[in-house]
Amino acid sequence: MTRPGIESSEISNRETLRIFGRALRYVAPFKRNFGWKILLTLASLSPFLVLPWPVKILIDNVIRGVPISGDQYPFYFFPEWVVSTLAQATPLTVLLWTLSAQFVLVLAVGAMGTSGRERDQTDAALGGGHDSATRTENQANSGWSLAGGLLGLYDFAFTLRLSQDINHHYRSRLFERIQELPMTAFDDEKIGDAVYRVMYDTPAITSAVYRLLITPIAVPISMVAIAFVLPREAADQYGLLFWTALALIPGTLLVTLPFAGWIRGESGESRRSGATATASVEEGISNILAVQSLGGEERERKRFDRDSWTAFRRYRALVLAGMVTFVAALTIAIPLLGYVFLHLVGLVIDGGLSPGDFTAVLAYFFTLASFATQLGSVWIISQDAAAGLRRVFFLMDLPAERDPPAARPLPRLRETLRVEDVSFSYLPGTPALQNLSFETSVGKITAVVGPAGAGKTTLLYMIPRFLSPDSGRVTIDGIDIAGVTRESLRKQVAFLFQENVLFDGSIEENIRMGNLNASMLELRRAAEIAGADEFVQLLPQKYQTQLGSAGAKLSVGQKQRISIARALVRDSRILILDEPTSALDPDTEHRLVAAIREASRSRIVLVIAHRLSTIRGADEILFLQDGRILERGTHAELIAQPDGRYRRYVSLQTRGAA
Amino acid sequence: MTESQVADARALRLDRLGHGGARDRLGFRQVVQILFRCVPLLREVQGRLVGLVLAWTLVGAVGLALLAGFLLILWEPILLGKPFSSLQASLLGLDAAQTAGVSELDAATRKQAAYQLLVRSAILTPFLMSGVMAVWYFQVWILQRVNQLLRLRLMDRLQALSLRYHAENRTGDAIYRVYQDSAMVTQLIDVLILTPLRCTGTYLTGIVFAFLVDPWLALLLAVAWPCTLVIGYWISQRLRVRFRAARETNSALTSRIQESLLGIKVIKAFGLERFEQARFEQDSRSAFAAAYLGRRLFAALGVSVFWIVSSLTLIGIWRATRLTVEGAPLFGFELAQNLDGGLEQFLVGAGLTTWVLGSYNIYKSMFGQGTGSIERLYRVWGRTQDIAIGIDRVFEVLDLEPDIRDAPNAIELPRFERAITFESVSFRYELERPVLEEIEFEAYPGTITVIVGPTGSGKSTLMALLLRLFDPDAGRISIDGRDLREFQIASVRERIAIALQENQLFGTTIRENIRYAVPEAPDSAVREAARIACADGFIESLSEGYDTMLGERGSKLSSGQRQRLSIARAVLKDTSILILDEPTAALDAETELSLLRNLADWGKERAIFLITHRLSTIQRADLILYLEGGRLRERGTHAELMASPDGAYRALVESESLTSEPLEAHKAAGENLS
Repeated sequence: MTRPGIESSEISNRETLRIFGRALRYVAPFKRNFGWKILLTLASLSPFLVLPWPVKILIDNVIRGVPISGDQYPFYFFPEWVVSTLAQATPLTVLLWTLSAQFVLVLAVGAMGTSGRERDQTDAALGGGHDSATRTENQANSGWSLAGGLLGLYDFAFTLRLSQDINHHYRSRLFERIQELPMTAFDDEKIGDAVYRVMYDTPAITSAVYRLLITPIAVPISMVAIAFVLPREAADQYGLLFWTALALIPGTLLVTLPFAGWIRGESGESRRSGATATASVEEGISNILAVQSLGGEERERKRFDRDSWTAFRRYRALVLAGMVTFVAALTIAIPLLGYVFLHLVGLVIDGGLSPGDFTAVLAYFFTLASFATQLGSVWIISQDAAAGLRRVFFLMDLPAERDPPAARPLPRLRETLRVEDVSFSYLPGTPALQNLSFETSVGKITAVVGPAGAGKTTLLYMIPRFLSPDSGRVTIDGIDIAGVTRESLRKQVAFLFQENVLFDGSIEENIRMGNLNASMLELRRAAEIAGADEFVQLLPQKYQTQLGSAGAKLSVGQKQRISIARALVRDSRILILDEPTSALDPDTEHRLVAAIREASRSRIVLVIAHRLSTIRGADEILFLQDGRILERGTHAELIAQPDGRYRRYVSLQTRGAA
Repeated sequence: MTESQVADARALRLDRLGHGGARDRLGFRQVVQILFRCVPLLREVQGRLVGLVLAWTLVGAVGLALLAGFLLILWEPILLGKPFSSLQASLLGLDAAQTAGVSELDAATRKQAAYQLLVRSAILTPFLMSGVMAVWYFQVWILQRVNQLLRLRLMDRLQALSLRYHAENRTGDAIYRVYQDSAMVTQLIDVLILTPLRCTGTYLTGIVFAFLVDPWLALLLAVAWPCTLVIGYWISQRLRVRFRAARETNSALTSRIQESLLGIKVIKAFGLERFEQARFEQDSRSAFAAAYLGRRLFAALGVSVFWIVSSLTLIGIWRATRLTVEGAPLFGFELAQNLDGGLEQFLVGAGLTTWVLGSYNIYKSMFGQGTGSIERLYRVWGRTQDIAIGIDRVFEVLDLEPDIRDAPNAIELPRFERAITFESVSFRYELERPVLEEIEFEAYPGTITVIVGPTGSGKSTLMALLLRLFDPDAGRISIDGRDLREFQIASVRERIAIALQENQLFGTTIRENIRYAVPEAPDSAVREAARIACADGFIESLSEGYDTMLGERGSKLSSGQRQRLSIARAVLKDTSILILDEPTAALDAETELSLLRNLADWGKERAIFLITHRLSTIQRADLILYLEGGRLRERGTHAELMASPDGAYRALVESESLTSEPLEAHKAAGENLS
């Protein structure tokens, strides 16, 4: 996905809005949970309403000994009988009751007073590193509550689960999408990059949606809640403080707006370079055999050193952009804070406010202002997420394999497969296949022969619709496969690739991937035909042997046999083999050819091969060169043509034998 | 939580966490040890760390001085109306003479001063903030540097570990360790130095202050920390188990993604998308379930520590309130009374003699700071469990000694001149299964040795031994009479070129792939190597020629093309020993023929080893080794081996020629070529 012209790091504000809108659609299945989360947030803020009272009661009614009476304080949270009981109690009893009430508050909401230290908030952020990828773990698992105690713990766990559910949903959709991409799409893609997108770019969704959905609700409520904990002395000033703080919301937004594009760009770069570094590790480790045998350790080390440091450097650039934006945001905050400061100082000088109250009022104002700034910076702070989301959406938007609108399932193949006048080119102007036609039917083996780069694999890719012809068509029993569902088509095809791709897991699991419903007997039968059973039986754990990463414990020939068994166990009508015998010894090859012969009784078999022993048994041989069929016929027919290309090809093949 | 997730979390807890009694292999002591093991890493940047501390001190000092100046001016002249000092006046740009001798400033001057103070602060603040950020940026840079060092060590070690390690471990695990686990080292300074120092300092100060007002309250604060230890100990060992599970499941998920992408062709061809999706979602859920359990427990640690210290705080308030109601004397004042000197008078002057509202509030705030630092300490301690697990996973790899290592006095492999000798070489991957047994042969410069035999008979492994990808379990391999183990691994791999059977290519240009082993090779050499490998034709037909970017693992090319690039890569190394593992399996006959001709010209003075099944190739050999079941069953030239009537080699040749028997054309072709 390192295709510069296509995925640039420039994202406009408008596109960012669109990206956020799209992200919100992904959390639509969770809207009830969000509703509940908002209620929980309100619940966690509600203790604000009662928290000032214990402190007041302790100081005024216990220490200063002022008796409690209903008119002195508006005890609107307490029923009348509580007030009257407390009013008759001794200070010591009041103390005891107050402390008990506080203890209950501590257990329930983790708070006993209003100051920061007497109030707990719940979160479980873990350590991250100083690069984009390692900070995403906390985003994917973000859990928090404004309360502590039992409520906080519940709220926290609920939020954590919600974040994880959203992330799981989102990254599963991305993974699903990746699997829908056409087979050739991944030729250009770095695996490390895709790993990065699934693991480290998707968590951007939680940081974006919480900011976009929760902050605009939680912040105004918190700002109003502050009014309840304001000391009486400051109550007259609340209007002024509130409105000034409120001005910070648009102020912060406007000042930081010009920096949004910069942050998005840096974040995109930081992620891109992180993905490159991931790809470095991935490739270096995946190709470890080549690295070690070619003495490439030093080279890999240098490459990783460079890529990893670039990723760190790009992250620093993002940090720098954030810092500059922060300082810029200060330029709007300072005049507003200054105005309030001067106003309050003026009040003190004029005697309207005591110096002690001045500090308290100012502290409350700072709290209000920080809430307002949070809301005003929602946009700028979400920009990092926007860059991550875009990288995810980019992958999701790549054209995927889609069934045509009116696709019908393909009936089970009865008789013929026909390739009619098919042309195809990967790049305009360089045709890979030109006006190719051939026909085959059940019971026949067709061999495709020709020099490297002739288009053999491309031709066979047309049949399971890994590629679709630019012109011409492929039909099965007369039905154009362009109009059938992908699933019903591929169910009938078993394709054996040139590379032997095995998966981490046991030998049995690997063979079973060809047919998830196969019985053990069928598995063994396929393995016997493929010549795998004999060596599997020699392994101590037989079919349960774990293969290690990508089958690293087997020789190439053994891997090939497992892949062949996987293709054979599939109950398919069309068997396509792309160089099935290249790494086999002649003995195994003979048996395989016999097995293919056997299989072809109920199937159509198409095979690409260089070895004569494989080709000879074919019912028809297509000799391909430069995307055209130059000769066709049986081995005997073709060999009989004195100047035939096939004849020449074969003679080279067997030169010197006997 | 959906039902399946609940089931998941439960299953995970049972499987991986045991029934609450599971213990991680790291205990408290090991956690501390692991953190200290990282200290040498910091040593590499120690100069900069000193610079960082100085910078923080400088910025902190300037900030404190400015804040102190601000507060002093704000309180004394502005809020309380006390006259300016001359310094204050000049700082504010006011004329000190105007207000000299006045006992209380008038409102206009005070407002003017407030305005001047504000303007100056407004200008200074962005500068100060920039200073703070510059230092912060510097700190990020240093920590990244440390992280980079650790990542590099990890990569070096991963690359040095033998193929045995890589067969057992998944690629995603390497990615996770290099990326996520190593990043934990950036938290080191915080968890090891800053937080413990700050928190212990505050806590002890709190105790001392509490002691001065009332020894019982001091005792209360002093026991607060030990009270939390039990729960801290109980939880932190469980945290380690869960955090490790979280890291392991995340690493497995990374591997799952990597492997699915590597095998995407098979998945699509076999219609396994849903199957693979289910496996992915299962892994993704497990990773989240593990993280959920770990983090919830971590949150519970915070909540329960808050409960404990808050309960103690409430007890403290109970006593402090009663003392205040009684108006009891402060313990510190009673002490001071017993001493002589000015302390008593000072306390009287400051109004700190008995429990009044003021001292009540001071006590509350000091006690609160003490308990607050306990909470912070636990927050960091909880996180430290995860950090230690991460770093432990890094050391797990760093502590693995590669099984193939340079001998202490290893020398460089000189250019090979006389002979490569295998003397009764045996090797096995696993204990049960010998791969090679008692292999003996010699190879000389200017010869071609062909290794044939059934699949899995140990042909590739034999060559891997020559490259020292493995060392033999018994017997010895020597070059010009010296044991291979006496040479440096790097020089062995530098002096021997190999074209691999699996044609592993890299996602870069064709040119870079060819000169992978010789990065400084000139273009002409690259082209020449491509010509010998018969790759020049197809490369030049590509629109971007040698600069064509190969996709992942060279997936844009056909296997025949990949094979030729891999041969060109080996040829370019220009070594006196060349190994070709099935060099022509995916080539058509014509290409193969010219390739072999080119190689024969090029390889006149070299020892060439060929693994192949192709008869046409085999016949050119000076020596044929027929391997079966890890044993050297036959050896000799083609003619010699064909002479033995029941020979395995003869049988092989006959089964191969059976297929070409009706042709006469091959003879003519053979003549043309000889």
